[in-house]
Amino acid sequence: MILAIETSCDDTCAAILDGPRILSNLISSQTAAHEVFGGVVPEVAARQHLELTAPLVEAALAEAEATLDDVEAVAATAGPGLIGALLVGISTAKAIAAARRLPLIPVDHLQGHVAANFLEPEPLEPPFLCLIASGGHTLLAAVRDHEGHEVLGQTLDDAAGEAFDKSARLLGLGYPGGPALEREAAGGDPEAFEMPVAMARDPGLDFSFSGLKTALVYRCRELGPEGVAERRADLAASFQAALVGQLTSKTARALKRGGWQAVALGGGVAANGPLREAVARLCEAHGVRLKLVPTALCTDNAAMIGSAARFAPRIPYPDYLGYDAFASGELPADGPKSHAASDISARRH
Amino acid sequence: MGLSPGGRPLHATGLLEEVERAATAAGGWAAVDLIAVGLGPGSFTGLRIGIATARGLSVSLGIPAAGVCTLDAIGRGIGEAGAEGLRLAVLDGYRGEVFAALYSDGGERIWEPLVCAPGQLAERVAELETPPSVAGSGAVRFRHELARDGVRIADDADPVHRVAARHICAIAAAIGDGKAGPLAPIYLRPPDAERWRERDSFQRAE
Ligand SMILES: [Zn+2]
Repeated sequence: MILAIETSCDDTCAAILDGPRILSNLISSQTAAHEVFGGVVPEVAARQHLELTAPLVEAALAEAEATLDDVEAVAATAGPGLIGALLVGISTAKAIAAARRLPLIPVDHLQGHVAANFLEPEPLEPPFLCLIASGGHTLLAAVRDHEGHEVLGQTLDDAAGEAFDKSARLLGLGYPGGPALEREAAGGDPEAFEMPVAMARDPGLDFSFSGLKTALVYRCRELGPEGVAERRADLAASFQAALVGQLTSKTARALKRGGWQAVALGGGVAANGPLREAVARLCEAHGVRLKLVPTALCTDNAAMIGSAARFAPRIPYPDYLGYDAFASGELPADGPKSHAASDISARRH
Repeated sequence: MGLSPGGRPLHATGLLEEVERAATAAGGWAAVDLIAVGLGPGSFTGLRIGIATARGLSVSLGIPAAGVCTLDAIGRGIGEAGAEGLRLAVLDGYRGEVFAALYSDGGERIWEPLVCAPGQLAERVAELETPPSVAGSGAVRFRHELARDGVRIADDADPVHRVAARHICAIAAAIGDGKAGPLAPIYLRPPDAERWRERDSFQRAE
């Protein structure tokens, strides 16, 4: 069995895996603690992780009906993410492993999102094209084996979920913004307002959402507070349609180029209904299989970290005693394998 | 077994190595029956590494962990060094501030841990009936502000200024099993300043 810990952003997570089987997968969300700030506050996140991690590990063991005697390796997210948050998880994992002379498996967070596809039930085997859209990252990845992924395209500015959050705030909707905006959009006309189709002529596979957000700012300014209140559903629907449109058009482009047989959709934004429907239609049109990661495994969780850990190098005791976490934008020399994912930062799942 | 993460986060990456060495010297983990850890005040990140490590060891080994205020360890060291009368433990709190706590001749806490500017601390010290013996990284750094009117501060190199894990151990052992509360860090400061600094550096890293 593998014990896995994930603390890269604002959710404290612990899981026990037996091969690809999840025996327990616990998430202690800090959303309430960050709600007052309208976003994730790094120092608040780190304080919460410290309170929650050790008890959550014990709860994960209990739910799996296992003890540490059953655990053969300890995995933890090493980055990218908030450094203070990562350090709590890594320090806890190192101490648990060291006292029992177990190996440590540092895991790349984004490879974790990819590896969510390898979990039971209905694991998806490589090769496949993977679209990950969340509050912290938005990327298209080529997954050719279990060990890593190649980033084909990624966001040049905001992550998709971040764009949802910011736009929801602009429209006076709640936090987290994704679900609130989707609910509002359900009653609106997606073609009511014209939104820019960013990167449409760019032949690459990168994303950009800041232009979309700016367009929404201008529409809101033109309408004024009363106009926004009146047309809120139409604004939300138009914004959402443009965002989903960009995600699916880039995925379509990657599909045409790659000769892929399967597409996997993951990350917190994958819970968005219209996105799921659009990607499903796309896959049907191309005759490829679509794998929708279960919602519980889309947002940040430790089971996906354990899944990636199964295929990642194990550092034997005592070689990891001085191991450090890495923040966004750095990759450790002996760190987890990720082909080109280091410049994506994790803010929220 | 006692853990005393130093003030600087980078040093804490060497913490587990030190801990393993100490456990080996004690005859292995089987010989250890309590994990003691300094709760601060200190660097937020350093404290969290220390406490997360202590908790991880406690979970892994199935033995209790107890937290000790880092200022208490300094206070105990002042007494052990032979000082008589009041003892004032002062740690460098960075950003031009100090963390401090005052103890009686017998080691009882008189002032709860506080954070303030060195000048403010000096004013409070001047109001005391008898001048205290002062030690800790803050006493070294702000010697000029604090050393007046009979206040005693040992030479910079004196070990009394350093937080010793053995004092953390001794205090934790005296607290006894089961009496230790949850291992809550003593931050003394709200997340505010730190939060904006971290957020800014995080965005720069993007
Ligand atoms: Zn994530």
